[in-house]
Amino acid sequence: MDTTLTPSPATAPAGTRRVVLGVQEPEDMDLPTDPIPLNMGPSHPAMHGTVRMVLDVEGEKISNVDIQIGYLHRCFEKESEHATYTQIFPYTDRLNYVSPMLNNIGYAMAVETLLGITDKIPERAQYVRVIVGEMSRMTDHMTCLGAGAMELGAFTVFLYLLKAREWFYEMLEEISGARLTHSYMRIGGLSADLPEGLTTKLLDVIQRTRGVVDECGKLLNRNRIFRDRMDGIGIITKDEAIAWGVTGPVGRSTGLDYDVRKDHPYLVYDQFDFDVPVGSVGDNFDRYMCRVEEIAQSMRIIEQAIAKMPAGPVMVDDPRLRLPTKTETYNSIEAMIAHFKVIMDGIHVPPGEVYSFTEAGNGELGFYIVSDGTGRPWKCRVRPPCFANVAILPKVLPGLFIADIVPTFGMINMIGGECDR
Amino acid sequence: MSETTDGQKTTLKIMTGAPVPAPAEPLYATGAPAPVVQPGTEMVTVTIDGKAMQVPKGTNLLEACNHAGADVPFFCYHPGLSSPAVCRQCLVDVKGQPKPVPSCYTPVADKMEVTTASPRVLDIRRQMLEFTLLNHPIDCPICDKAGECTLQKQYFDWDAKYARNDGIKVHKAKHVDIGKHIVLDQERCILCTRCIRVCAEVAQQPELTMAQRGDHEVLTTAPGKRLDNPYSLNTVDVCPVGALTSKDFRFTMRAWELQATPSVCPGCATGCNVEVHTSREQIYRLVPRENPYVNQYWMCDEGRFTYKRIYDDRLGQPMSGGELVEWDRALEDAARLLRAAVDQGPGKIGVVFSAQSTNEDLYALSRLAFDSLGVTRAYVAGLDQGWSDNILVSADKNPNTAGAIAIGGGRLKSLMDLANDVKSGAISTLLVVGERGVLGDGGTSALPISKLQSLIVLGWRKGPLVNAAHVALPLADWAEIDGTFTNRQGTVQRIRAAVPPAGDALPGWEIVTLLAHRLGMPLEFGGRPSTSPPSARAVFLDAREKMAFMKNADWGRTSLPIQLRFANSRG
Amino acid sequence: MSQLILDRLVATFTGGELEQIGTQHGNEWARVRRDAWRTVCAFLRDDPACDLKMPTDLTAVDRLSREPRFDVVVHLYSVTKKHRVRLYAGVPEDDCALDSLVPVWPGMEWFEREAYDLYGVRFRGHPDLRRILMYPEFVGHPLRKDYPKEKRQPLIRRSGFPGKPE
Repeated sequence: MDTTLTPSPATAPAGTRRVVLGVQEPEDMDLPTDPIPLNMGPSHPAMHGTVRMVLDVEGEKISNVDIQIGYLHRCFEKESEHATYTQIFPYTDRLNYVSPMLNNIGYAMAVETLLGITDKIPERAQYVRVIVGEMSRMTDHMTCLGAGAMELGAFTVFLYLLKAREWFYEMLEEISGARLTHSYMRIGGLSADLPEGLTTKLLDVIQRTRGVVDECGKLLNRNRIFRDRMDGIGIITKDEAIAWGVTGPVGRSTGLDYDVRKDHPYLVYDQFDFDVPVGSVGDNFDRYMCRVEEIAQSMRIIEQAIAKMPAGPVMVDDPRLRLPTKTETYNSIEAMIAHFKVIMDGIHVPPGEVYSFTEAGNGELGFYIVSDGTGRPWKCRVRPPCFANVAILPKVLPGLFIADIVPTFGMINMIGGECDR
Repeated sequence: MSETTDGQKTTLKIMTGAPVPAPAEPLYATGAPAPVVQPGTEMVTVTIDGKAMQVPKGTNLLEACNHAGADVPFFCYHPGLSSPAVCRQCLVDVKGQPKPVPSCYTPVADKMEVTTASPRVLDIRRQMLEFTLLNHPIDCPICDKAGECTLQKQYFDWDAKYARNDGIKVHKAKHVDIGKHIVLDQERCILCTRCIRVCAEVAQQPELTMAQRGDHEVLTTAPGKRLDNPYSLNTVDVCPVGALTSKDFRFTMRAWELQATPSVCPGCATGCNVEVHTSREQIYRLVPRENPYVNQYWMCDEGRFTYKRIYDDRLGQPMSGGELVEWDRALEDAARLLRAAVDQGPGKIGVVFSAQSTNEDLYALSRLAFDSLGVTRAYVAGLDQGWSDNILVSADKNPNTAGAIAIGGGRLKSLMDLANDVKSGAISTLLVVGERGVLGDGGTSALPISKLQSLIVLGWRKGPLVNAAHVALPLADWAEIDGTFTNRQGTVQRIRAAVPPAGDALPGWEIVTLLAHRLGMPLEFGGRPSTSPPSARAVFLDAREKMAFMKNADWGRTSLPIQLRFANSRG
Repeated sequence: MSQLILDRLVATFTGGELEQIGTQHGNEWARVRRDAWRTVCAFLRDDPACDLKMPTDLTAVDRLSREPRFDVVVHLYSVTKKHRVRLYAGVPEDDCALDSLVPVWPGMEWFEREAYDLYGVRFRGHPDLRRILMYPEFVGHPLRKDYPKEKRQPLIRRSGFPGKPE
């Protein structure tokens, strides 16, 4: 079906605009309209997170949109300048709060690069980081797809995917103690090892999730309504994506083959056999399919990681990085001092700057950390992937209908915590 | 011996030369400050870790190493004291010497080659720390010094290995009351003897000594003495650990919560440079800041307690006719009184300048009084002379006498003349800016306040003068304002606001500017008429142009209270 | 790896536009003179050997005790060559302006708005320079080091609210 919108200047009365739906309609169906401003406010049932869109619409068609973010700005960078490096981990949890492990990992790797201990991280810690990172990526995509489908009317898909997501949250809660605010990583490794028997449960959950995702695919992929609303809507070309810094599933849906895990492998990603889904058209449906495929690929990575994971320590054995045990602390002055200094002073990171980037749920998550040599960073900048993804929307949305905002914005997956920090 | 402008000699090695502004405060602790090299000094070449550098002959090797960027740790050495080389923490390798040498005790020699970070030196450093920590009690959670403790810092930087011994430690006396202000914990003492040298060399009263030997060596007071000299709290500053703690500061606040603001002590005319340590807008203590031209590294105990006057019965709100009012009404009343006085004749107005006020307050007042109102009778007030010694304490207990006299331009008379003029009726209106000491200590003096027609007081504390005033306006005190003091050497030094003013108090220059505006004679600073008060800096810049004694003054950088870890005074 | 970019820069800009170059922790960086900012960036985008077509990040750093006070920091990436570079431009406090990079990479629009909002660096030639994260009534630039962390600028004053005096 031709979904392009074309005015017919030949028959339009002078001074009015004509909006023609789909197939060319006879003249008596044309409605001349005035442009009006419409506010899709920060509090809106179909908006993910708090964002305000001030639309200029003519009838149903958007002519201009001003996206106003910042409603969830919680001064991450300012607070980081006054917190020690370890104290920043809870702040990173709350950046992309549907995939917190990925934020933790990205930040930990940035500080470890500054310390120069990236190759000293124990191998087991790296495998666990990959595993929990991919679990977080899956929860991110399942939330996005579920919510996106719900907004188009597919409530069942939402509940199915959230059911699967909940299994992962149970696993993550067992690992870290919290469903969402894990703070699991530490500089130099992990705060604690995986619990006993978790990997077996995880493999079982993965099997069940495969079934759920397949089921949802069957419900949506060839669904007439779903396809009509997603196909050809919100097209981003590959050149646009590059010029606007769009990465992640949104970027890859345009045909841009860029995934940090493949192009600049970090942790142990180079040991795994996985594919990166790349789209071709760059419309909503491609973004949807990229995410669905990425869930499948993440499951592949986790299974391989569980098979290959060695035993061993999960934290670098450097008294300047790790906390001593309680017995040591209460019984020796050296451990007491070490405990004091690691917590109160923070980890002394040598002066320097680094930009460290990983593949988060939405794209390239970068941490630009400037260290002044003390235990607190001089600057801790997050390069949020969905900031660039949302920035391109004011160029994509004009020309679409108001109703098209819902799937487009849903598939961009703006997470307020990450965009605003 | 060096001599100060008021003729007092002091035994401290105060640097001579033209009065210069205080050295620029570095934002980070970057090791020892650069040595001040007088031209014509003989220089020698010394190679430190492969890097050759020129240093003045006779420089301490430890200072040379730290200045070169090689971080050599030390406990017993202090740049302001003699170096006994007892702690052995600063041992470095010098080529040609069979044993490592204590760098704090070794002067540099020409063509010396020093290694400060070879594996042998690092191992020695670690071993010395291990020895020091063998009997150290596990007191960090209850020790005041935690967070600014040199032992913690050196261990973390250089040792960082866990204990090898069985943890059974020698026990000594804890929380011993050895002086008026100090508590001693003998177990924490690492026997560096810095405190003994402070008492002997700085305070000139050797009250501390080491007793016993070996594992059981303890710090104690000399027989029959207590640690009571007027510089005793400097021992708390120099103590690398929490063995000596101040009774005033004990258990009140943790060091890492403190923020440091550089300022100047208002206790006497010496103007020792201090840091005001605050947390959540409350002052917890004062510590000395290094200034080779004024106070070296020390300050007296009395000066340390000048922060208490910020909280001492302050006048927080304006008063008019004996009741608390809003600023608007108080300023109106004061302006009305002044206008009436001007109508009677400006010769009947008396203005009191305070030697406790900053140069900016005094300058603004002089502009209002002499230039705008045409006042002819002006007086200078301040606290009475007190005790002094030839170390740091000046008899003049006011921080800005030199500034007050200079700004007054020789027109300022004494309090005795004020009392006479009021008694004889030569003055009917009195404007007091800074009430401290006007009525003398004790609050009663020969000043017959009742004879005055109108009395306007800008004051810090509630007291007889403030209570008797027709209009009393609250002044912000020394730790709450930005400004400058002029010390007895003639040096103009910057003070900084560490806490917000008490209640609704305002700085003196601001009140004076508001008053001038109400009177219809707005004061101009920097060539622009100010309907609203300008900043302290604008007043300073204007004063510097007009006042000769301030021509070398420097306002310094805008700095907010910085976290203690950046201030150079601790650790 | 990304050394090629630095080599190309050094070979092309010989008139002092490059103030410093270096590598740290695997990141190649170059400090560019303020007036050559857009020229150097346009070159990096168009040069086929560099091909830095993707703007990754633009932010500012407040150095506080150093002149010039601010550094505008830009990270660029090439999806074809898979190399990246970091560029610095020193911006003094009293003339806090820099050429906008929006004509070079449209994606810099929001990043520059954020640097303006939080640091106060104005970008000349930016199509829509206004605050992005803070509300329009906000006064000051919060990420500057002299803006106190605890300062509040509430739009709604709540005095007399029971239990919470304002």
